Amino acid sequence: MAAPLEMTSESAAPEAILEGVGGQAIEGRSLGKIAWLRLKRDKVAIGGGIFILFLIVVAIVGPFLVQNPNIYHPNLINPTLSRPNGTLGGVSLAHPLGVEPVTGRDMLARVVNGARVSLLIAFLATALAVGIGTVMGVVAGYSGGWIDTIIARLMDIFLAFPLLVFAIALVGVMPSSAFGLSGNGLRISLLIFIIGFFAWPYMGRIIRGQTLSLREREFVDAARSLGARGPYILFRELLPNLWGPILVYATLLIPTNILFEAALSYLGVGIIPPQPTWGGMLSDAVTNGFYQIDPMYMIIPGFAIFLTVLAFNLFGDGLRDALDPRSSR
Amino acid sequence: MGLAAFGAVATLALAACGGGSTSSAPTTHAGFNAATSSVVNPSTHKGGTITFNLTTWEDSMDPGGTYYASNWNFTRYYATPLMTYASCVGSCGSKLIPALAAKPGVSSNNNTVWTYTIKSGMKFSDGQPITSADVKYAVMRTFAKEVLPAGPVYFQTLLAGNAASYKGPYKNKGVDLTSVTTPNSTTVVFHLNKPFADFNYVAAIPQTAPVPQNKDTGSTYQLHPVSSGPYEVQSATLNKQFVLVPNPNWNPALDPAVHQLASKIILNINPNANDIDNRLIAGDIQMDMAGTGVQSAARAKILTNNTLKQSSDNPITGFMWFIYINQQVAPLNNIHCRMAIEFAANKTTLQDAYGGPYQGSVATTAMPPTVIGYSKFDLYNAGSHPSGDIASAKNQLKLCGQPNGFTTGMAYRSDRPRDTAAAQALQASLATAGIHLQLKGFPSGTYYSTFAGVPTYNKTHGIGLATGGWGPDWPDAYGWGWALFDGQSIGTAGNTNIGMLNDPAINKLFLNLESATTASAQASISGQIDMAVMKQATFLPAVYSKALLYRSPALTNVMVQPTFGMYNYGTLGTK
Repeated sequence: MAAPLEMTSESAAPEAILEGVGGQAIEGRSLGKIAWLRLKRDKVAIGGGIFILFLIVVAIVGPFLVQNPNIYHPNLINPTLSRPNGTLGGVSLAHPLGVEPVTGRDMLARVVNGARVSLLIAFLATALAVGIGTVMGVVAGYSGGWIDTIIARLMDIFLAFPLLVFAIALVGVMPSSAFGLSGNGLRISLLIFIIGFFAWPYMGRIIRGQTLSLREREFVDAARSLGARGPYILFRELLPNLWGPILVYATLLIPTNILFEAALSYLGVGIIPPQPTWGGMLSDAVTNGFYQIDPMYMIIPGFAIFLTVLAFNLFGDGLRDALDPRSSR
Repeated sequence: MGLAAFGAVATLALAACGGGSTSSAPTTHAGFNAATSSVVNPSTHKGGTITFNLTTWEDSMDPGGTYYASNWNFTRYYATPLMTYASCVGSCGSKLIPALAAKPGVSSNNNTVWTYTIKSGMKFSDGQPITSADVKYAVMRTFAKEVLPAGPVYFQTLLAGNAASYKGPYKNKGVDLTSVTTPNSTTVVFHLNKPFADFNYVAAIPQTAPVPQNKDTGSTYQLHPVSSGPYEVQSATLNKQFVLVPNPNWNPALDPAVHQLASKIILNINPNANDIDNRLIAGDIQMDMAGTGVQSAARAKILTNNTLKQSSDNPITGFMWFIYINQQVAPLNNIHCRMAIEFAANKTTLQDAYGGPYQGSVATTAMPPTVIGYSKFDLYNAGSHPSGDIASAKNQLKLCGQPNGFTTGMAYRSDRPRDTAAAQALQASLATAGIHLQLKGFPSGTYYSTFAGVPTYNKTHGIGLATGGWGPDWPDAYGWGWALFDGQSIGTAGNTNIGMLNDPAINKLFLNLESATTASAQASISGQIDMAVMKQATFLPAVYSKALLYRSPALTNVMVQPTFGMYNYGTLGTK
């Protein structure tokens, strides 16, 4: 057992040593490398990851490949019943996913165009909420005392804030252009800010609770007794142990945010039609009762959201397993 | 015409009075639209239960505090206003007949003083005779907006004397409303602050139904109103149920517009509109009280099944969907730019957006066909070019000095799916003529009070177009159009004349209407207003709203009341 002696004790985890046993040369591996190796072996997680990549590609280049999503096809609609002619919402060669009820707009084009806005808002708003929530939660939970009191009360204020009333008020004061943005560009930035800024306390509370229990654990005491300072303990000792709840919560937040965008559009603060969004299509199908006369109109955006959430969940699960060596499988 | 139909109804009521249980007609599926042109299943059979469903408790069951057409219809069971609409189909149903009053109001002093005499023998359900003081008290309590917040405010704006400062009998205890006088126990006189030819329509609002002061309990009176109609309240639970049974002190000879056939009428609140449709079609309930038509799922079911279709009616409701064109927002201050929009609009996709041909027929005038004085005309070729007359639109754009088109904002109510669909349909169709719309959605709760109904907001935000909908309080040109087209109606907020139409000739026509005395003169002026508004191109009509109503085969005496655009509830019986 000479091998451990050749390694710097700082970066070597016991698992890394085991990994190296069968190999030809023993080399030092960072935590990141170890995690990547574990992730690569998790086929389900990789499948989820590939699907996420596929979604991102569709969102970026897809709108250039499909037809104009805002062209009306009144001839494909039965105006009496407000539903598309033909089976499965009017599926045809020209319209592989059928057409929208009432207007006859192409569903494939609308789903692909909707992916861009919905995913952009969902990803960035989630990232903002998770970022603020994690930092505030860790700081509050680790510091305790008056810092904890201030942050915890701040979370209470944000949780109690009547967001929808605020959104309605925003309709009135919102300028048509600001920060060099106008139209939907401005709306998207605003939505990301509103959703992200008001969703962080949920994240923050979970993280704070986890941190409260973690900071009393032996390895934190050990680090402290070895002279580690606050920031090191926060980000090198505590944060890696928080990946589990962070990832699980983030994957759950994404569909919530997709639908929250639709709720804000309903109040007139969201995306301006005719730009399609997944949440907007889904809520239109529900509030207008279209799910009863043309189920495909609800199934298609619903399925898109479902696949996105599933992919994120699987990938997030795998990532957590890879990052957190102690988690049992 | 009106009198003849009135006579027919009276005969029916008298037969009911005789109590002869004549065999009820076996017809069950009378035919599509049968109840819009005739009385379906005429019968004098007594007994049975009629069950109504409604998705949510409307503003109030109190006749003094409700602004829903369905409730103005339903309160006829237990509230008898001074005037009422004749129970007959077609234009006859828009005619006013006296109900509590012995004859229509008599006006004097250039339509500023209106006098009504109460029919002798009218009694409350507790047996007490109805006096003019009960009518005056009913009018007085409508001033108490803290108790009855929802009802119309015609008395507050029309009455003279201390009406402007009067706060109702609860806050201003012992204070008299000086502009309503009761010279004797059967005469009530209204003194107005301006000539108002349509006061008989105001007297037909349930607010004039008598209320005995010693039985009034303010906001809870809606649960136990003292009845002056054919039924009285047996039990009522707020937001849940309202049960009516026959009023023993009601004399059918005195009010032929309503009947007392069913032995029980139940209104249940059922929040699921689709469930209401299913129960209605299955026969578990007999009427959807809202009267706005079935949901899209039931619409598909009814229209694809001929048996069900024969039991349905598709009347024009009297409501209308349209788009305002604001003549104060450049370049729409030029009439040719406004006309370009009128020509370019695709009425077919607009009709689809508002729900298709069974939810509305394409509109080309500024008034719906239910308004007295309506005549059909089509200034902007909607008939010959159902998907928009782009050539004429481009021609108008040249005349306007914008040959390549222009861009303007369009307001709509983002929480109303049909408004949202209409805004997008108009955006797509105007784009073909080079007119580009920037859509701006607002919540419907503040649409008129804060956004599209505020002229300065529209001007500073460049909102040239705005969706709108309107249903009149009574079916003549004044009730329909004053708030939409008269320059005096423009307000700084809550404005309903969003087109900012302030044309001296049109304002003059409304003034003439206020003091017109004959029906034919009123009809002629109404037609002139309609044409003049369309020529100004500040109003883009979309559809005359229609409703697909399911007529339960179990009901008798079913007819569509054109003023409300729904079945007349007061005459219904069951087999």
